[in-house]
Amino acid sequence: MFELSDVSYSYDGRPALRSVHLKIAKGEAIAFLGANGCGKSTLLKLLSGLIFPLTGSFRYNGEAINRQKMDDTKYAKQFHQQIGFVFQNPDTQLFCADVFAEIAFGPRQMGLAEQDVAQRVGDMLELLDLRGFERRQPYHLSGGEKRKVALAAVLAMNPDALILDEPMNGLDPRSMRWLAEFLVQLNKNGKTLILSTHNLDLVQEISPRAVLFAEDHTIAADLQTDNLLGDLELLKRVNLVDPYYHQHSDSGHTSFHIHSY
Amino acid sequence: MRDHGAGLPEWLRQSEHYLARADKDTFINKSILALVQLLAKIRIQDARSEGKWRVNTALHLLLTLVLITLVSLSAGFSFVFVALTYILVICCFIPIEEMKRILSISALAGVLTAVIMFPAALWGNHYSITVLPVKVFTTVAAMHILIVTSGGWPELFGALRLFQVPNIIIFVLDITIKYIVLLGEFSLEMLYALRLRSVGRNKNKHQSLSGVAGAMFIRSREMAQELHEAMACRGFSGEYPRVFRFRLTALDGIYSAIHLVLILAFMYTR
Repeated sequence: MFELSDVSYSYDGRPALRSVHLKIAKGEAIAFLGANGCGKSTLLKLLSGLIFPLTGSFRYNGEAINRQKMDDTKYAKQFHQQIGFVFQNPDTQLFCADVFAEIAFGPRQMGLAEQDVAQRVGDMLELLDLRGFERRQPYHLSGGEKRKVALAAVLAMNPDALILDEPMNGLDPRSMRWLAEFLVQLNKNGKTLILSTHNLDLVQEISPRAVLFAEDHTIAADLQTDNLLGDLELLKRVNLVDPYYHQHSDSGHTSFHIHSY
Repeated sequence: MRDHGAGLPEWLRQSEHYLARADKDTFINKSILALVQLLAKIRIQDARSEGKWRVNTALHLLLTLVLITLVSLSAGFSFVFVALTYILVICCFIPIEEMKRILSISALAGVLTAVIMFPAALWGNHYSITVLPVKVFTTVAAMHILIVTSGGWPELFGALRLFQVPNIIIFVLDITIKYIVLLGEFSLEMLYALRLRSVGRNKNKHQSLSGVAGAMFIRSREMAQELHEAMACRGFSGEYPRVFRFRLTALDGIYSAIHLVLILAFMYTR
């Protein structure tokens, strides 16, 4: 579905991605891990067609995605319908007067009949436990509720792939657990899932494949999540965990944690 | 807790068969481009402030103001052309993109002055249409060179302390630059989100954009409120002490000597 070949990107001369090679198949779930500023968000923006590689190539379903291609508004709109992007900060994604209009924005853009729009909005409200919020202004919601509305607004367009930038940020543990289960469910129903996260506990549950970024903006490892999280030396080297992070595999479960003394 | 993962609606389980239609997103795209360029300029300015070969910002500010004053006071052609020559020579040491920008903005200001002064020239006042545009060009270019070659906005504002500018004004200027960047990044993300979700023909583009503007307004109010509360928690009582180190190097000496020559040239040509 996505194919990146020797992709590099920089912001005003400051590198954000260096020589990235990556293939993501349809229906796959993949997590990008790495310390802050290693290039995860830049890669997600690139996969969403918001920015373009300065060197190398990016292909979506075999077609090269570049500025010229995305200048074709018909193609760009089709691409954006198929690739849903949930921003790290939900505040930046919500701009409609109320929650109903926010979720209905995409389906209305797609020209669905108002009856179908209402159906989709109703399903999303139900699915994300947002019933009763229809007429609430998005900026008056809590952080977790805003994140749910942002997710609902993207899902209402029924994209083939869902890209999420740090989706667990600002969520309480219960909401995190709920979101992880929900994302797994979406993936099981055929949605391609691409996310960046620092949450090492939940990433094992969400995605079987993980790509680890080094601080020099290159890919340090592209492995099965279990194998990658088992390599603590590698995680320490890329500054993703501190020296006290460890896991117990002999107690019937594996989870990263720190003991308090 | 409910099992939200189960029971996805039928339409969400199936692939969408949607055929997009072309639409014009020129305004959104131009706004995105303008914001990206603005943020890049500020970042470049900050990156430049880390440069090694730089004149002391306070001295730079002082001598630029002296030069502008001398250009304004000069009655004849001679000194104005000396100052113009100096400015053009300085431009040669600036990166080509910045040089083009400085020269184009300054030239535009000069041409506008010439247009305004044209009626005076018709009445026989040739000084107005010959010297004044050059003076305006020199002044605008000198100010731009100061901005481009100084150690970034925070240092430039800090240098205002030397001129007894009240702390609160420096504070407001500091915060303004910071919030131009923060709100710029926020609005850029909002425009990106609008573009990503505008997957069809949008007849109410203005409504969507007014939504973006409204969200920006609310966000800026929240940020101002949070800043005020954070400052109150840190004991802010209206004073904003800004430490400004005044250290001179050999380069500052050379820069001062050049301006001394310009002052002598001004006195000689009077």
